[in-house]
Amino acid sequence: MRSLLNFLKKFGNVLLFILLELIAFYLLAARPNYHNIKLTKAINATKAAMRKKINNAVDYFSLSDINKQLVRENEELKNTLQRIYKSEELTTFNVTDSIYRQQYVYISAAVVNNSVNKQKNYITLDRGRLSGVKEDMAVICPEGIVGIIVEVGRNYSIAMSVLNLEFRLSARLSKNGYFGSLTWDGGNVNSLILKEIPNHVNVSVGDTVETTGYSAVFPEGIMIGTISDFDERGGDFLDIKIQPSTDFRKLSNAYIIANLKKDEQLKIESGIQGTR
Amino acid sequence: MLNTILKYTGLFILLLAIQLLLLNNIQFSGFVNPYIYILFILLLPFETPSWLLLILSFATGMVMDISSVTHGIHTSATVFAGFLRPYVLNFVAPHEGYELGDLPGIKAYGFRWFITYVIIIVALHHFFLFYIEVFKFEYFFRTLLRVLLSTGFTLMFIVIVQSVIIRR
Repeated sequence: MRSLLNFLKKFGNVLLFILLELIAFYLLAARPNYHNIKLTKAINATKAAMRKKINNAVDYFSLSDINKQLVRENEELKNTLQRIYKSEELTTFNVTDSIYRQQYVYISAAVVNNSVNKQKNYITLDRGRLSGVKEDMAVICPEGIVGIIVEVGRNYSIAMSVLNLEFRLSARLSKNGYFGSLTWDGGNVNSLILKEIPNHVNVSVGDTVETTGYSAVFPEGIMIGTISDFDERGGDFLDIKIQPSTDFRKLSNAYIIANLKKDEQLKIESGIQGTR
Repeated sequence: MLNTILKYTGLFILLLAIQLLLLNNIQFSGFVNPYIYILFILLLPFETPSWLLLILSFATGMVMDISSVTHGIHTSATVFAGFLRPYVLNFVAPHEGYELGDLPGIKAYGFRWFITYVIIIVALHHFFLFYIEVFKFEYFFRTLLRVLLSTGFTLMFIVIVQSVIIRR
């Protein structure tokens, strides 16, 4: 007994240290569940609400900028309205009025919290389950892509920013349609990385890169950015750096995009993979 | 005793407020992320028992983690810093040792002593924190640069806070 007490006296702190570190690492590893802890949710909701109040005040200063941005966007939307409708000309035999059937729904949202200085950045938006937001929906802003929804609460949702080491998206060169995989390496905020574009493809600085729509998350043709630098590196693939068109430092308005046909696409795709 | 607890609770709230409301909002490139909340652990009295130091470190890290949604990153780094603090204090101790009742600060042991003490702990804390955050060695040197730059800025903010606000 005495020796046990002596032992504890000598190494108790080390044991406590190890215990506390284990708890911390458990939290690190059990990330998805951690979000569900009620306390966290409550605190986040209060924080988001507080942040919204602060933002409300700050927003006044950028009103004129945002106004211009919205006007420009409206103009563009009116010109390209057809992009969000997908042609279904095969159904012409049906005597329905709609040649076009809606595939995407846009939900407007305000950014209430955002960061660019971490390795895994997340964005909080003021729309949640009550507005129809679900996980894996796309988030864009007038300038380009922003991220993907990863957590949905009642009134708020959290999106994984493109500036996150875990972010992956298929992207293509809009001039010739070659597609590759878009990531971020955790370094410069103004430089995304496009991999898997073969060496023989003719690429030049300034080329536009856009979404492919393959993953059923983003509609196709949403602007990602322009090529700022590329490198042949000797392998079979080019190493392409992209200047994102979105300025992640000053996001204020965003749109969450719901794909009405996503379940259908995923279902039919998983069917094929099952038989292989 | 009660007075001390009240004083440190005030310090805790003040530092976390500065950290969360001010420093976390400075989106100044990904390379500079000062974390001055660690000053709370640095300023605890010399005679704080090690177990209490660890518990307080854990609590500080938890509050940071919960409020900035970082899942254990700050907790593990702060507990690490709290664990090392007694050893660092031994390492930088002046010849005549520490006097009971003194607080670790510029006032009691001078600017040079304070800076050495702060640099060692902040660097260890930031080193642990940034490598845990990235969690791979792929970006080793860039993470190192982040550690060094952030340590510098944290140090700067700590000196400012220490000399401006915490006179009392």
